[in-house]
Amino acid sequence: MEMEAEPPKIVCFMCNWVFCGEELQVPYNFNVFRVPCIGRMDPVLILETFANGADGVMLVGCKPADCHFVDGNLHAERAVKMLKKLLNLAGLGHGRLKIILFSPLEDGNFDKYAKEFSEEIWVLGSSPLKNAELAPKITANLAAAKNAASAFRLRVLLGREEELTELENAYGERISEKDYDALLDDIVNAEFVRYKIHYLTRDKPLSVRQLAEMLGLKPSIVLRHITNMRRKGMISMYRVEGNTPLYKALEVH
Amino acid sequence: MEKPQLKIRKLPPCRAACPAHVNVQAYVSLIQRGKFREAVEIIRKDLPFPAICGRVCFSPCEDACARVNVDQSVAIRGLKRLVADIEREQGRVKGEPVPKKYSEKVAIIGAGPAGLTAAYELAKMGYPVTVFERMPEPGGMMRYGIPNFRLEKFVVANEIAYIQDIGVEIKTGVEFGKDITLEGLREEGYKAFFIAIGAQLGMKLNVPGEDLEGVISAVDFLRALATGKPLRVGERVAVIGGGNTAMDAARTAKKLGAKEVIVLYRRSREEMPAHPHEVELAEKDGVKFYFLVAPKRIIGENGKVKAIECIRMRLSEPDESGRRRPVPISFSEHQYEVDMVIPAIGQVVETSALPQELLNKDKGGMLIKYDPQTLETRIPGVFVGGDLATGPASIIEAVGAGKRAAISIHLYLRGRDPKEGLDETIEEVTWVKDWNMVNKKARRYDAPIEKPHLSLEEAMEYLMQLKKKARFEAFRCLGCGPCAECLAGVELCEGDKAVVDEVKCVGCNVCAVICPVGAIKKNDRGVAQVNEDLCKGCGLCAARCPENAIAMRKLSAEAIMAMISTALER
Ligand SMILES: Cc1cc2nc3c(=O)[nH]c(=O)nc-3n(C[C@H](O)[C@H](O)[C@H](O)COP(=O)(O)OP(=O)(O)OC[C@H]3O[C@@H](n4cnc5c(N)ncnc54)[C@H](O)[C@@H]3O)c2cc1C
Ligand code: SF4
Ligand code: SF4
Repeated sequence: MEMEAEPPKIVCFMCNWVFCGEELQVPYNFNVFRVPCIGRMDPVLILETFANGADGVMLVGCKPADCHFVDGNLHAERAVKMLKKLLNLAGLGHGRLKIILFSPLEDGNFDKYAKEFSEEIWVLGSSPLKNAELAPKITANLAAAKNAASAFRLRVLLGREEELTELENAYGERISEKDYDALLDDIVNAEFVRYKIHYLTRDKPLSVRQLAEMLGLKPSIVLRHITNMRRKGMISMYRVEGNTPLYKALEVH
Repeated sequence: MEKPQLKIRKLPPCRAACPAHVNVQAYVSLIQRGKFREAVEIIRKDLPFPAICGRVCFSPCEDACARVNVDQSVAIRGLKRLVADIEREQGRVKGEPVPKKYSEKVAIIGAGPAGLTAAYELAKMGYPVTVFERMPEPGGMMRYGIPNFRLEKFVVANEIAYIQDIGVEIKTGVEFGKDITLEGLREEGYKAFFIAIGAQLGMKLNVPGEDLEGVISAVDFLRALATGKPLRVGERVAVIGGGNTAMDAARTAKKLGAKEVIVLYRRSREEMPAHPHEVELAEKDGVKFYFLVAPKRIIGENGKVKAIECIRMRLSEPDESGRRRPVPISFSEHQYEVDMVIPAIGQVVETSALPQELLNKDKGGMLIKYDPQTLETRIPGVFVGGDLATGPASIIEAVGAGKRAAISIHLYLRGRDPKEGLDETIEEVTWVKDWNMVNKKARRYDAPIEKPHLSLEEAMEYLMQLKKKARFEAFRCLGCGPCAECLAGVELCEGDKAVVDEVKCVGCNVCAVICPVGAIKKNDRGVAQVNEDLCKGCGLCAARCPENAIAMRKLSAEAIMAMISTALER
């Protein structure tokens, strides 16, 4: 048994419209930040919050129909869906991020929800970033995740989910939500892996085999990503060792 | 002459429609957040009568409310009444005295809503103001016209006391034209005047028998009651007219114990100028209506009313103005046996009290010669407004006039042209482009708050349940106006705007798709451009821009991260 465990640090981003100040009561380990709309929370900022040492992040917005900005809360929900995938890939697990759409009129006191989340994080323990052994890897993963969350492809997809799944394009086509999810999965995975490769090859040139081992992926998949990354100017062949090419990251904007 | 460049002020429909431009969107959004007291403070910035108007305003805001395109208007008046009543739960709210900044004394004649509002506004600016009123109590028609069951006297007294708190002096029992005159006041050092004596005189029917005992005009009837004079109400009462005053007189007579009250109106129900809701309530009280009849004479016995003889009317074909005039039908005379007749066919101004230069001598024109925009008259320093200038209208229009008068008087006293106060035009805005979308997404609180017309005890009980309902109701507001209209999140939202870095922008259009209010569009160079009049500063675009090309002026990503890292270091 550990001696005295430190209480988890929780960051809570709360929509400015959810309640009036005096009604709000939260556990002492909650740091509440008011934002004009939880849709304001750029996925990168949330990952950055984890990188800063938060053990858990909670987003609190208005009930679907109450959003002051029509559907900012739903945009946030989409972002969370994507972020959970990234957090899993990064080894933090999706349980550290939670979004609730809340109305004090219907759901009563906020206390309950805050406590519940706080307990969930106690169970998960403190962020692996605080574990000296895991820290370097997690830091690398979070850096890759942040880059993935800034990737053009992913953000366009995210920003246009509503348009893609609810409205038809000029050709009368519409993507089903399932297809969209699969697409999102693919892109999240791909972007994460690419930025991870980029991160790993920053200081030291590595071979496909070495990378495949480090990432726990098949060499053929790694090779496909590298081909793609070369086309985009993210990586280049550094030199060939024996028959094996080594790759090194290029500076990206 | 060169046309002056007008400032355009973009307002949500509700605020644009309100003659006093009360900041509806702001206080409704405060109610959403349960900030009831702050909501009243916002109302009071534009209107000194939140509780009064919450009860009896004709609420042009609700007629204009954009939400009617989706379902029904937001219950704005009900919400206003509620917050005003909540504020009073803990006793009357006192106003802070405003220090005098100027030395020029201003005299206001008539303590109706027009005069009181002008006094309130001028006192807020720092002028010494005195209001002269001939009745024993201030308030005008709010005090002596509108009956107690619609507007309690103590509510009027409270809101006037607030105006006195901030430094307005009210002298009652002083009649202009008799006890005081313009010249006299000038000698006493008053530099500017606002005359707002209303339209207090009930119009005559001009039929034989009008001087019989038992004939009393509606305003005299209501005024006598409000002054506490002993009043004998007939058993069978005929009220002549179809306006709100007629409804008030009829309902009052019924409540005072008349066995039967009939309203005689010379057009049909559709043409009645009274608010349909008031008509409904009168019917509920048991008042009977006879349409298309006009009085011909009042028949007396021993000098007292015994019956009223009427003639039937029919409506003519619509004339050029589209109005259908009532035309008498020959030989259709008939009588109603009544012992009291209350004419309520309109009010006129007591012109005898006014300086004769103000009157329009040419027939047909306005009664009073004045500039309807600046409220100036041909006598320098004398301004007029309210019912006096417009004819019987409404409280909120009188308030609007009072505010305009205060601006004009201020400019006049500072040696400037009152026309300078007219430097803006108002444009109605709402960000909603597609009403179907609203219906689908935002309408969850169907039940609009019933407009309460309740007794005090009922109202208090109702109030408790209402607080919760009110917040649901407030959530129906679409928040039509631009960002600065909503003062709720001053520390975070107000003034925050998206800024596009034109170099980074690649024209992907994600921001345009995501912006909830359509404030961001690609311009002809293919670069995103923010329309600052529409942007509400939500930051959704900044959170999604794939190229990091959009930053928020206040709550930037850096600002958020700085907050977080300091919090987590602790
Ligand atoms: C029965 C009735 C019901 C109404 N119901 C509503 C309603 O529900 N909602 C609504 O919005 N409006 C209503 N109105 C209309 C509204 O009350 C008036 O439009 C409004 O009060 C006009 O304000 P005012 O300041 O111009 O004049 P007034 O309210 O008429 O005030 C004028 C003041 O000047 C004083 N005065 C007159 N002559 C002199 C003098 N010679 N010297 C000194 N003082 C003088 C009068 O005593 C009075 O106090 C109603 C009116 C009546 C008559
Ligand atoms: S929806 Fe709200 S802001 Fe829009 S007109 Fe109605 S009350 Fe005003
Ligand atoms: S911040 Fe961006 S998304 Fe929000 S209203 Fe302004 S332009 Fe639109």
